[in-house]
Amino acid sequence: MKTDIKKLCTAFLTIFILFCCVSPVYAHKVYLFAWTEGDTIYTESYFSGDRKVQDGTVKVFNMEGKELLNGKTNDKGEFSFKIPEIADLKIVLESSMGHGAEYLFKKSEFSAGQAPAAQKVSISDEQEKASVQIASDNNQLRKEIDAALDEKLKPVIRELAKLREDKKPGVTEIIGGIGYILGIMGIIAYMKSKKTG
Amino acid sequence: MHISEGILTAPVLISGAALTVAGTAVGLKKLDYDRIPQVAILSAGFFVASLVHVPVGPSSVHLVLNGLVGIFLGWAAFPAILVGLLLQAILFQYGGFTSLGVNTLNMALPAIVCYLLFNKGVKSSNIFISSIASFLCGSGAVFLSSIMVALSLYFTGDQFITVAKLVVAANFIVMIIEGIVALFCVRFLKKVKPDILEVVYEN
Repeated sequence: MKTDIKKLCTAFLTIFILFCCVSPVYAHKVYLFAWTEGDTIYTESYFSGDRKVQDGTVKVFNMEGKELLNGKTNDKGEFSFKIPEIADLKIVLESSMGHGAEYLFKKSEFSAGQAPAAQKVSISDEQEKASVQIASDNNQLRKEIDAALDEKLKPVIRELAKLREDKKPGVTEIIGGIGYILGIMGIIAYMKSKKTG
Repeated sequence: MHISEGILTAPVLISGAALTVAGTAVGLKKLDYDRIPQVAILSAGFFVASLVHVPVGPSSVHLVLNGLVGIFLGWAAFPAILVGLLLQAILFQYGGFTSLGVNTLNMALPAIVCYLLFNKGVKSSNIFISSIASFLCGSGAVFLSSIMVALSLYFTGDQFITVAKLVVAANFIVMIIEGIVALFCVRFLKKVKPDILEVVYEN
């Protein structure tokens, strides 16, 4: 009986190792990442293997857990919204069948010129009359630079956001997991053998 | 098939966890010394199977192999699947810690139901009956798991029929694949090591 089990173990282990080598390692996970551009936050959601999450619900919460807004992703898995407030935001994705993902949008990710869409124009109100013109010119220039920078940096920011979220299981995790299972088996076998012995 | 963290409400999570604890206790009690390696092997198989990804429609599905675990382990499917899911949660971030109980229940209970329904058929010396029973056991477990997932979401407030249709449709190909996998595994083991099935069913 024992040698039979041994043989069986080897056979199955071989199959599993082959499994790991042959099949491309796909994660079964949903990813959500977000970046800003002007006064808008863009989000993109996808399943592993770059399959887009279509018609998933995106909800935006502030740190107190209050829901600020929500919406649905389009065919490309994208959803964008105006910045509701400059603070840490929690963006939550709920897709079909109980899959979900979260993205914490840190306050520090907003650039200096960004402001919630609604409050944007009021900056120059309290300034002295003489400097109003210069201030608004400066403001205009700053906005343009911001826009240009956003445009240029968009792919970089996207990649960074993606990198931060992307943790695909690699061979290390798989072999590690199998190792854990064998370890647990060893512990249980040891305890049972002590009892019977 | 793995329900992520933060989707389900607390009552669903807690009752799932409680039933999983009960099932695992029964499984461990029925587990005898000789079968520990077998449980570990199937647990490892279950752990790896979810990486085999089947691209269907707008969603993402993968092999589950809970039917196979059920055929060979019976009640011991609970601890095997629990360990597999725990490691998937830690290492692959599939599912989550809070939803571990519900996820285990969703996959292990169908495994046991299918084992109870089909074990006589699988054991049959008639190749035809045995093949059909193995296929049904493999695919039936995935089907029941889909229903369980839909139920869990239903208790959280989703529309049952809509979600159930979605999950079953997405996993349809997986059901067929798993039926075939179970069929070949049983056929293979019956030829090579017929006593392995007998051992399981003596308990």
